[in-house]
Amino acid sequence: MEKDNLNKLWDIQTNDISNFNPKEIITKAKKQRNSQYISITVMSLTVMVLIIYAFYYAFSQWNTFNLGLLLMISSLTFRIVLEFHSLYRKENQLISMTQRSYLAYLKKYYKTRQIINYIITPVCITVYIFGFYLLLPYFKKYFSNVFYTYIIVSGVISLIFVIVIIVKSTIKEQRYLKQLHK
Amino acid sequence: MITEQEFTNIYNLHASKVHRLCLGYASGNNELAKEWHQEIFIKVWKYRNSFKGKSSIDTWIYRIAVNVCLGDLRKSRKSITINEDLLSNNSYDDNKNDDEKNIRKMYHCIDQLNEQNKALILLELENIPQTTIADTVGLAHGTLRTRLSRIRKSLLKCITNGKR
Repeated sequence: MEKDNLNKLWDIQTNDISNFNPKEIITKAKKQRNSQYISITVMSLTVMVLIIYAFYYAFSQWNTFNLGLLLMISSLTFRIVLEFHSLYRKENQLISMTQRSYLAYLKKYYKTRQIINYIITPVCITVYIFGFYLLLPYFKKYFSNVFYTYIIVSGVISLIFVIVIIVKSTIKEQRYLKQLHK
Repeated sequence: MITEQEFTNIYNLHASKVHRLCLGYASGNNELAKEWHQEIFIKVWKYRNSFKGKSSIDTWIYRIAVNVCLGDLRKSRKSITINEDLLSNNSYDDNKNDDEKNIRKMYHCIDQLNEQNKALILLELENIPQTTIADTVGLAHGTLRTRLSRIRKSLLKCITNGKR
């Protein structure tokens, strides 16, 4: 095969981009931006409510219920904020770096992600479970037996669901990191 | 700042090349290529204010394009099916079968390259000027020329013999 044939062969592919038009892309970009603003607003409000609750209510009437609740919410919030922060940084690098620098950045990024996946996330989950455990005596005291059982079963099921998702994405990221080092 | 009209012009000028670049990265998976294509231009619009003109607009767009394709975790799937519709319908059947076979081989061979070489050859196949490719990827022009010549040889060998 001649050298130029590489280009000829490449040009055989058709170019099916008829489904797109620039206006539609702008509309989608605006929608994406708006939903990002909404997510950030909701996150910020949640953190603010938590801080206000901690200072004005929980700290003045301190008990294990408040502790459990704070542990659960703060571990979850911390993990979500960490996720948003790393995604935001990655996006900023994507639009500004050359492919070579971005490749080096991705290798570093996914190595750091492994620390998050193997250390920070399990710590967050443990803190969350401990917080949940602290709430159980209060649930048992104030709720009916049926509802108490429902809380435990649904709590365990959702936790297993979340863990499965985390394990799956960890495997995916590891496979990807391996591919980057090819 | 890029206006809607300017964005439309940029889109019309680059959409086709960007899409084929994505096709190469996706080993011919048109659905995945379309998703990337859309994501790339959404980013171009969203981050248009961060384009300061330090490089040409072409370089900036191709950087976003190769980085989006590079950074997507889904491409790590072991096998990506090749879409038969990607091949033009206007060639004769025999030729079409040969072309089909060759282009499958080509996708397969490109997929064997490392991430940087993959980007280099895909940009080169789109006839993008070498200075733009060098700025997109972050290589010196001299290095790029040598590298491209080696990749072409290796790719031809792979398509012809099935080996790199």
